Amino acid sequence: MIDCNEAVRRMWAYLDRELGAKPVAEFEAHLQTCQRCCGELEFSRHLRELVADTDAAPPLPPELRSRVENLLADAEMPTEGPA
Amino acid sequence: MSREGGVTASVDRPATRASRRSLPPVGTPAGRQPFADIARVHMEPLYGFCVRLTNHPTDAEDLVQETLLRAMRRYDDLHDPSRAKGWLFAIATNAWRDRMRARGREVRTVPIDGLAPDGDEFSLFQTVAIEDPFPYSDELHLDFLRLFRDEDVQAVFGSITPVFRLPILLTVVHGFSCKEAAAILDIPLGTLLSRLHRGRKQLERGLWRYAVANGLVTTTDEEPP
Repeated sequence: MIDCNEAVRRMWAYLDRELGAKPVAEFEAHLQTCQRCCGELEFSRHLRELVADTDAAPPLPPELRSRVENLLADAEMPTEGPA
Repeated sequence: MSREGGVTASVDRPATRASRRSLPPVGTPAGRQPFADIARVHMEPLYGFCVRLTNHPTDAEDLVQETLLRAMRRYDDLHDPSRAKGWLFAIATNAWRDRMRARGREVRTVPIDGLAPDGDEFSLFQTVAIEDPFPYSDELHLDFLRLFRDEDVQAVFGSITPVFRLPILLTVVHGFSCKEAAAILDIPLGTLLSRLHRGRKQLERGLWRYAVANGLVTTTDEEPP
């Protein structure tokens, strides 16, 4: 049986579905007996969402978009053969 | 060493910004998706990643451009287009590391708040429960999180030591698995998991400090250790 410290350490990995079968079973067994860790798991879920909800893909500033499009246009241009 | 999918194989070292005239031709063999198409698909996530990575809009714009220049040169290393986003993020990370080195600022590997390497057991959950900033609330912990606007979260997130911020950025914000994030950062999975934990602890401590410093909560005692 894992203790609360270990359960807390595993919480985000659990929320990320990154734990293996045995660590998940140990973690969930701990939750069955620990109301505090159930509360902290719920809190961790919301805390994780708070970070995840920040804008991961903001629109490019127009000036950067222009620079990038120029760069990509150059990359798309066929190279000139020998004169 | 080249990794499957070319996540780390693509990282070239020169950090100089090439002029448009010096761009190498980007060959597109028959049946291969043009580089420009790949770049356009991932442009906005890449920009978002660079903004969080640099904490500076102008630096982020330069980093996007440098990343694309490096990626163009190494496009042949991208064997699996479905991994293009991670490939671009790995190039951006290495370009950023090169910039930090060039500026004489090694990427921090030591917590800025002087905590022992594995000794940060600060618990935001516990601190909120003890300090009880909303005595009449039935949702004490959720009410605490509701105090934070998006810009508050970004300010706190940006204060996390970069080496611990990156794993959270890759996994939580951009949705990579821990294994993918470890490949992007070119570190062992165990190291990635350890840094994720420490980053989360810095985030928790940062949120509490921010709330206290900005008067979002009032406390009765000194700041918890």
